[in-house]
This record gives sequence, structure tokens and C-alpha cells, in this order.
Amino acid sequence: MKPAPFDYHAPTTADEAVGLLAELGDTAKLIAGGQSLVPMLALRLAVFEHLVDLGRVGDLRGVEHVDGSVRIGAATTQATVERSADVAAAVPLLARATPLIGHFQIRNRGTVGGSLAHADPAAEYPAVALALDASFEILSPGGRRTVPAADFFDGLWSTALGDDELLAAVTFPVWTGRCGFAVQEFARRHGDFAIAGAALAVELGDDDRVRRCAIGLLGLGSTPERATAAEEALVGAGVDDVDAEEVGRLAVSALDAVPSDLHGSADYRRRVGAAMVTRAWRAASEEARRG
Amino acid sequence: MGDIEIELQVNGEASRAAVPPRLTLADYLRERCGLTGTHLGCEHGVCGACSVLLDGEAVRACLVFAVQANGREVTTIEGLGGPDGDLSSVQAAFRDHHGLQCGFCTPGFVVSVTAFLRDNPDPTDQQIREGLSGNLCRCTGYQGIFAAVRAAAGESTTAVAVGGSGTDPGS
Amino acid sequence: MTTIQTGAARYTGTRVHRVEDARLLTGRGTFVDDVTRPGMLHACFVRSPFARARIGAIDASAALALPGVRAVFTAADLNPGVHEQWYTSMGKNVPDTPRPAMAEGEARFVGDPVALVVATDRYVAEDAVELVDVDYDPLPPVVDYATAQGGDTLVHEAYAGNVAGSLGGPPSDDLTAALDNAAHDVHLTIHQQAYAPVPMETRGLIAEWSGDELTVWTATQAPHEVRMFLARVLGIGEHQVRVIMRDTGGGFGEKVIPMREDMCIALAATKLPAPLKWIEDRRENLLAAGMSRHEHGDVRMGIDDEGRIVGAYIDHTQDIGAYPAPWPVGTAAAVGMLFPGPYRVPLAGFRTTSVFSNTSARIAYRGPWQFESLAREVLLDIAARRIGMDPIELRRRNLLQRDELPYANANGMPYSDVTPAETLDQALAMLDYDAFRREQAEARAAGRYLGVGTCTYVEPTTTGMSYYGTEGATIRIEPSGKINVYVAGGSTGNSLETAVVQLTADALGADIADVRTIQGDTAVTPFGAGTGGSRSGSMLAGAVRETASLLRAKLVAIAAHQLEASPDDIELTESHARVRGTPTASVSLARIADIAYFKPHKLPPGIDVGLEASARYRAESPTIWANASHVCTCEVDVTTGAVTIDRYIVSEDCGPMINPNVVEGQIAGGSVQGIGGALFEHLVYDEDGNPLATTFMDYLLPTATDVPVIEYGHIETPAPGPGGFKGVGEGGAIGAPPAVVNAVADALAPLGVEITRLPLTPAAIVDLIESAR
Repeated sequence: MKPAPFDYHAPTTADEAVGLLAELGDTAKLIAGGQSLVPMLALRLAVFEHLVDLGRVGDLRGVEHVDGSVRIGAATTQATVERSADVAAAVPLLARATPLIGHFQIRNRGTVGGSLAHADPAAEYPAVALALDASFEILSPGGRRTVPAADFFDGLWSTALGDDELLAAVTFPVWTGRCGFAVQEFARRHGDFAIAGAALAVELGDDDRVRRCAIGLLGLGSTPERATAAEEALVGAGVDDVDAEEVGRLAVSALDAVPSDLHGSADYRRRVGAAMVTRAWRAASEEARRG
Repeated sequence: MGDIEIELQVNGEASRAAVPPRLTLADYLRERCGLTGTHLGCEHGVCGACSVLLDGEAVRACLVFAVQANGREVTTIEGLGGPDGDLSSVQAAFRDHHGLQCGFCTPGFVVSVTAFLRDNPDPTDQQIREGLSGNLCRCTGYQGIFAAVRAAAGESTTAVAVGGSGTDPGS
Repeated sequence: MTTIQTGAARYTGTRVHRVEDARLLTGRGTFVDDVTRPGMLHACFVRSPFARARIGAIDASAALALPGVRAVFTAADLNPGVHEQWYTSMGKNVPDTPRPAMAEGEARFVGDPVALVVATDRYVAEDAVELVDVDYDPLPPVVDYATAQGGDTLVHEAYAGNVAGSLGGPPSDDLTAALDNAAHDVHLTIHQQAYAPVPMETRGLIAEWSGDELTVWTATQAPHEVRMFLARVLGIGEHQVRVIMRDTGGGFGEKVIPMREDMCIALAATKLPAPLKWIEDRRENLLAAGMSRHEHGDVRMGIDDEGRIVGAYIDHTQDIGAYPAPWPVGTAAAVGMLFPGPYRVPLAGFRTTSVFSNTSARIAYRGPWQFESLAREVLLDIAARRIGMDPIELRRRNLLQRDELPYANANGMPYSDVTPAETLDQALAMLDYDAFRREQAEARAAGRYLGVGTCTYVEPTTTGMSYYGTEGATIRIEPSGKINVYVAGGSTGNSLETAVVQLTADALGADIADVRTIQGDTAVTPFGAGTGGSRSGSMLAGAVRETASLLRAKLVAIAAHQLEASPDDIELTESHARVRGTPTASVSLARIADIAYFKPHKLPPGIDVGLEASARYRAESPTIWANASHVCTCEVDVTTGAVTIDRYIVSEDCGPMINPNVVEGQIAGGSVQGIGGALFEHLVYDEDGNPLATTFMDYLLPTATDVPVIEYGHIETPAPGPGGFKGVGEGGAIGAPPAVVNAVADALAPLGVEITRLPLTPAAIVDLIESAR
């Protein structure tokens, strides 16, 4: 099980990387941590003439506070996020999702940007980014553009990134106030891609009413999904009046492309997804109430 | 594009070669460095048998290309013990707790556990299990491995057994 | 945990450090892929992408044009080289099923080897595989063995109705009458999915010719069988083949015999100027190394008013894939013969049918007959529930008691030296069954679903038939007094090196540090059948005993002569011969060896020079029976279908233990494989015969977070034979699936769920819950 031959490029700046993409076109593939890409290469499910390695691009790494948000360089490893006290304090949803990604050896290589750009609908980071309305900084030979999460994921393993574009950073808004956060997912085994899951953030007003709620769903569509109907139903509701199971039901009610595979039918995934939303709501709302 | 010149540190020694870009770090270590303790159990990043330390962090050597390790430090199973063949504390704990049987997955476990315990010196049982869950073993049912890690973390565990002549007359 | 020191009086029965560990822990083991030979070439198979297809023209020109490619072989090149092809364990005369080296004319499963590329490295070989153009004409496949019987679409033309063979027959009139008239006549069909041994090291070999000698390095449980088999295939003398295995990364049955790829590599090597290496990759392993366990049984049990079994019958059908190895028909009989298990079943019967399909071969796997336990133990729980009796109580009314032994079951299996009632009692006491039932009731009241399941079985080990019936050892006490013991080998994680060193040290009164062992090289070790069938402990103990007894006599004679004492007063301990009661009168093993080799004038009359002996042990009984009880408790999340195993207890009677660590390691490994089979592992095909689980992302092995702490109970009833040892390698994999299934079923019983189909994936459990509503 050996990959097909390819040429290898190791740029040291993001601009250089983008230049290579422009030059090589769709025969090139970016490799960041490689934890999803290399297995596909080894199985020869994917073949590229050129790999452009982001591993030596220093300006794509790091966690920083920018205007009340947290900006994370795309090549920042998941392990770095996991260890970051900053992320834990400012973007708890991201921090709590991180240990659920694969195993620690995977997180040592896997990157924030790699996970988002790979856009597996069952992955944790895309659902978190979507729930939190993160914004994606995209670099191309023509310059830099910013895309909201809602417009970034456009299909199965497919994003708004063009062939000559590179995801440079992702900025997560910081929720303040009486907030609670929870990520709940169900996988066959620890570290496997989830059958279904939910990333949920909630903020309560002093009156114990829901001021805002964001629910990202994973494993329940061809892209990460947002449980808009459930979010809308929750906003303004008294936290004690919420029927958690109803939140779960509502969250999966509008899904129309739930996948079906070896590990479960669409109906089964929907059931598990609803349960994960219910559990995430209970945990997050309880945390917010205490906050 | 042909082969690429790389130079890295492997178990503290400089290692230089010209390699094709597609050569995995695991194959580089096994075939170019003769370090065959790094085993290939799946070659798609699941089993963990090929785990090595890359700049000190446990990674799957089948998911890293040798060219990506250029300029970095790699530690393999062969580099963990003492120079005279002394076992590291993790290796000794695996021996003491029947943490290996066929030994094929063992290097990956020992490498991973070495990094895990360095970063989590006082793990809970659940943390140990999660820390081990990225490595597959088919012989031990993880019983001896878990006991070894528990012991190496500095807290002894009590083997559960009833009856039998499993006594230790010699000590 | 402590381990014993060198110089101890007795090593057998203790938790000595393993002699294998120093090399394996430091990355200095030698697995087959670690072996490199000068000029070595690398092989990769072109495998059929179709479940069934006629193979037309094969155009290898593009592959051959690729730099680094040395050859491409097809069936036309290799298959005519096969002289004879049969397994020693089965003998030449069984009505064996087809087993061509390379697929010829027709490809019969996805993964069937169609061509073999040889190149300077594996990367290039894989590139070339993509360039071999095979003209396939797809044919309708036989995917589901369960509906294949009697069909018109045939896997092999020579096998009408796709049946390779059938043994047994319909229930006798007496049995039918007993079942018809029983107060409770419980009738079910139980299905098990395909799963596989999946050792962490895949298969592989290197074949190297030197003149008219072939040397093979391979991953095997039985180096001597590889030698005999390949010699027959190639039509050369057994003594022209040398097979070497040092470390083998697990086998569990998959490596007990060489398979089709081994034939291909050996044949291809005859046509090459250099050694040829093939290392199976994981996808090939999951595609083509074979499967096991895929079978179902229509089972029927009659139970009277008092909860006594009056009769039992199983009609068993197994999937054998396209090219089973070895012949599967005879071994399936064990499923029927053992179906009554450790219970008093006055009337029994069975029929077993082996059915071909266009899927991966059925191969040996740890307790190949384990379906008897799954079917029986699941049936007993369901029967108990239907009768309204606690499943433990139903078992206790029927379990064989010690005073009933020996006991021939209704199919004629002669049980002896087993303790099923005792192991069940011990395991339940370790659990505190009554306390669990109380906890379960409280949990149910709180909306949580806990369950307990058990399995009690008897298991034939160390079967003493023909090929397996003898085992040899050579012991050389070297001139320095250091000892080497040579046995056939085949250790694949089951610690045969340590066991043999322990046994030899005790047999010769040697310090364990003075003993080493050499195994797995047919050029220097005695013939032996390798590891399999839970035979190694008892057979190696016998071989060491026979050989050591010759050397003991010699050591004692020399020592007595030297110490001017009576041979009757000499004891061998701590690498010394001592005069009993006179501690100062002793002579070291080193000194005795020095005399034996270099000072023949000091030898007593009639004693030959040297200290080397060889002998063979002949099995003292046709079968050594072992037994165990598994008890599992679990909690089921009825929303997601997730199963969490809380406690897992195994009480095993494998006789006295050579090394409790090794015994417990075998139990644990087998049990977790069984847990994997019950909950996770599935070598699944789609309806077109495409395998869907060909990576470790799809074929789910249990991980450290999926398994409980396993608690061990030991009962040590000696068996006939050396040391009283019994086999223990396979049992865990037999007992675990039914214990887990029964635990889950017990948890879900209040919801009206009955479980008769594996695996219990979370989605399957949710389906069961929903269907029961």
C-alpha cells in the first residue's frame, strides 16, 4: 500500500505556496498534517502530480486575539489548539471538540485548516466553525478574501476554496456572558469519525431566557449542518421551559441528506443526532445557568 | 522531479539520503536506516504500529513522508532504551506486566506511551485508555498494556485473579 | 506483580519474565518483513475487482515497460508448476476443495490473485499493478451463501448446488419425538457474521533459491508444514527446503497453513534469478487472507417441566467462500458434535453443510467450531426467558457434575477432567450474581438497562491425531553447561520460547538463566506441527519431558560417579547436581558438561560422551478437554444502541498453568477477539460481492477504550499427559461472543428484545429495540 509518485514542494511562505498553486493548477494538492490525505494517497484513492507542503510555512501557524475574536492560523496543529489555554478560555467549543478528533498521534500532525479544508461532514471542526459563524481567510494569487462559514462548506469534501487558493486562517468569535458550550458525538469507537454529533453554544440572559444559541451538526449531511429551526425555537425561551428532547427532534427535522452507510441508516443517524443535540443542550444550558 | 536530498537526526545520529518524495518516513527508517523496529501494520494511519517521535511528538510514520522529516529529529523504538540495551521505564513496565505477546504492535505502543506519559504524568484510567486507543493490539486484549502504563505512571495496579497456582515462589 | 528470580527451585507455574521480550521491546525482533536479502525483488498481486468474472487476455506489456519491473506472472506461468497440493493436517486423501495458485479461467472473489508483478521495490510493483490490463468478463456472483445452496449459479462447476459437503443428518426419530413431546420446544435460527483473525502482522514470505535448495523466511504458526507443503507444490524433496521464522506477529489460525499466495511466490521464485519477497498489505489482508465465523444454525432444544434438557439438534450451514483452506467440511463436524456442550443432553443430533460463495476463503480461526457455543448458549438464555426461569438456574439443572465424568455426550464426544459447574460457580461468585440482579433491578427502575450474560463450554485441545499426535525436542547441554533446547516453533505471541525454557529448566534442574531455546528453523529443529489447536503447552511439555529424561539420567550418572554417591541420592537443582542431605557435595552443570565433552576418562562406565539428546513425545490421549465460563455484564444505551461492558470475568480450567501470565494473556486476547466479533468486526460484502471493510477504518478492531478489565478465575484440574497441562489458546474467542450477546439480550429483555443475529452494532441494537415495540 504505497502512494503513486508525486513531485514535492516545500514553500516557506504562504505567498510562495499560493504561487505554486497558481503555477501547478489542479495537478497540485496542498498537504498540511496529511492525516486524511496520506491514507488516501496510500490507498491510491487519490493521485496528484504535485504535493505542496504547508509544514514549513511559518506564517500560517499560531493563535492570536484580534478584535475580540480568536484567529487561528490554518497550519496550527490540533495538538496546539488542545494545549492552548487561550482557546480553552475564549472558544471553549473548539477546545472541547479537539480531543474528539482521532487520537493524540493524529492531532500532533493534523491541523485546523487541514480539517476545515478537507471538510469531512462527520468531522468536528467544520461543525464547530459553522455553529460559531467563524470566518475563513482565503489567500489566492489575487489577494486575500474572507468567507463566512455558512458559505465555505459547499458539498461533500468540497469547499469554496479554488484550485489556486489556500486557507490561511480561521477567526472564531468569542462568546461572552452567561454561556455554555458542549460537544456531544457518538462514534463506533473512541477516535472514529462520528456517526452523528452536535456542537452547541448557548447564551442566557439574566432573565434565564435564551439570548442566542448555535447548533452545528456533524455526520448528518453532505456538509456540516446548522440546526436553524432548533436555534430559532430556543431564542427567547425560558431555559427551564425547554424540552431538551424536543430540541433534539427539531434539530434533525429539516435534514434532507442524512447519509447511510455500514454503521447506520439515515434514520438511525437522525435518531442519534437528535440524542446528541439533546445531550449537548442539557450540558451547555446547565453550564450557562451556572455561569 | 527526482529524488530529494534530506538530512535528519535519527536516534541522535545524522542521517542523510536522497529519497523519492513518496517514500514514507516509516519505509525510510526501515529500509534506508535499517531500523526495522518501526512496524507497518496498516499503512493507512490507523493501527499505530509505526509510531515514532518526530521532534518529540508521537506520530504515525506511515503518514509522514521522509521529505517532510527533513531537518527534524526522529526517535524510534531503537532509540528509547539505554545504550547497553537497558530497558526504559516504559519498556520495563511492558515486560513486567505481560504488556506484549507477539510484539508486532509493541514498538508503536512503547513509543506512544513514552510520549503520552511525558505529557500526562498522572493520568486517570480513562485518560490512559484514550491515550492507548490510537494503537491496535490483537494479542493482549490490552489488559497487560493497560497495567503496564498504569504501573509506569507510578501507581501500582492489582491484578485480578482468583485461585490458581500463580504464585511467585522465587521472590 | 512480582516475578521470580533465577535460581528458583521451580519455574513452571510461575510468572517468569518472558525470554522474547528483550528483543521485542527494543525493536530488535525479526519479523519476516525485517529480513532483507541481497538482490531481493518485491512482489505485488494483481487482484480481481469482480466477485466473479471470466478472465480473458492479460496484457502486461505496459507494466513490463516500467523501469524496475522484472516480471509479470499469470496462471499460465505458475499453475503448471504445482506438483501436489495438500495439507499434512488433512492428509492427501480428503475430498479437498479447489485451491489453484493463481486464478485460472475465472476469478471467484474480489481479491482473487490474477497476476503477480515482480519489481525492484514494492512502490514500483504497485505502480506496475495498475498497468496490467486484464480483460474481465463479469459473471453473476454467488454472494450470499445462505441462499446459494441448490442454486443454478455456481461458484465451482464441479460442485452442484454450491455444496462442498455435508455431514450428519436429520434428527433421529427418538430425538424428534423427544423434542415434539417436550414441555418446552425452543426453535431458533442464529446467525453469525464473517469476521477474521486479523493478526497485526499481515502474511508474507521471502523465497530464495540457492542451487537446488530453497530457503523461505515467512510468518507462520507451523514452519515444518510450510516446508512440507512447498516441497510438495514444487515437487522437490522436503530436505531441499529450509523454512525460517523468528518472530511472527500473531496468527490465530490465519498462519497455521500456507495459502495460495505462498504457492505463487514459491513458484515465481523458481523463475527468477533473485530472492522474492511478498509482504501482504492490510487491504490485501482484509480482502484475501480469508474469513471465518460466517454461518447460521437452525437450533432446537427440548426442555421438560423441571427445566431438564431432553434433546438438542442443530442444522448448521457455513459459508466457505470460494477457496477454503484447509478442507472445511470435516472440521465443521465439530460444531455439531460439540453442540450439547457441558450439559446433560440425552439425545442430540446435527447436520452441517459447507456452502461455497464468491467471497474470501473460509480459514481457520481460534476455536473454528465456536458456533456450537454461540448457538447453544444464546438458545439457553432465550429458552430460560421463555420458560420463565433464570438462565443460571436452567444451566445449573443441566450442567455435568464432576461425579458424572467421564461422560460421552450424545454425539459420542468423551469428556473427561472438566469442571464446567465449578467454573460457572466461581465466575458467578466473583461477580456476586445476586447483587448484580439487585443492581440491575434498581437500574431498570431508573430507566437504565443493565444485563448479565454467561457462556460455559467444554473445548477439545491438543488433539492427538496423526500430524498433531507427536512433538519432538532436542536439548543440547553445551560444553560450558549452558543449555539450548530446540523445538519446531511457530510461536506467534503465545510465548512458546518462555514456556519451553521454563519447562526445560525445571526438567534439568537448571537455573533459568542458563537455558535458551532455538525455534522456527526447519534446518536445525526437530519436526513438529507448530502452534494451533491449543496444543503447544501440553505437546511441548511432553517433548521436553521425554528428551530431558534422557539427559537427566546421564547428568545423574556422571554426577554420582564424580561425587562417589549413589545415583538415587543425586538431585539436580540450580544448575548443580547435589547429594541429597549433603549440601557441600555438589558438582556444577558446567563441570559435568566439561567432563562429558572433554574428559571422557572421567565418565562412568557405559556413559557416552556429549550431553545432547533428542526424543519425541506421543500424545497420551486423543483429546485433552479444557473448559471455562465467561460472565459479562453490560449497560446498553437504548437511544444510541451503544453497549458498555462493565465487568468481564473468565473462570478457566486449563489444568496447572505453565505460566499464569501467559495463560491470562491468552484468555484476554481471545476474549477481546470474541468481544470484537460480538460488537465490532464485520467482513461485510455488498450485494454485488464487493467487500466493504478492507481498511482499518471500516473493519473495526476493539481498542483499549472498548474493553473492560478482565478478571480471571483459575481452576486447575490436571489432564492426562505431561504436567496435567491443557490447552488455553483458543477458549477466549469461543466463550466471549455468547457471553456478550446474552448480556446485551438480558439488558434489553424488558423491552421484549430477542437476539439471534450478530454483530450487535449500535444500529442493529436500535433496530431490535424498535422492532420489539
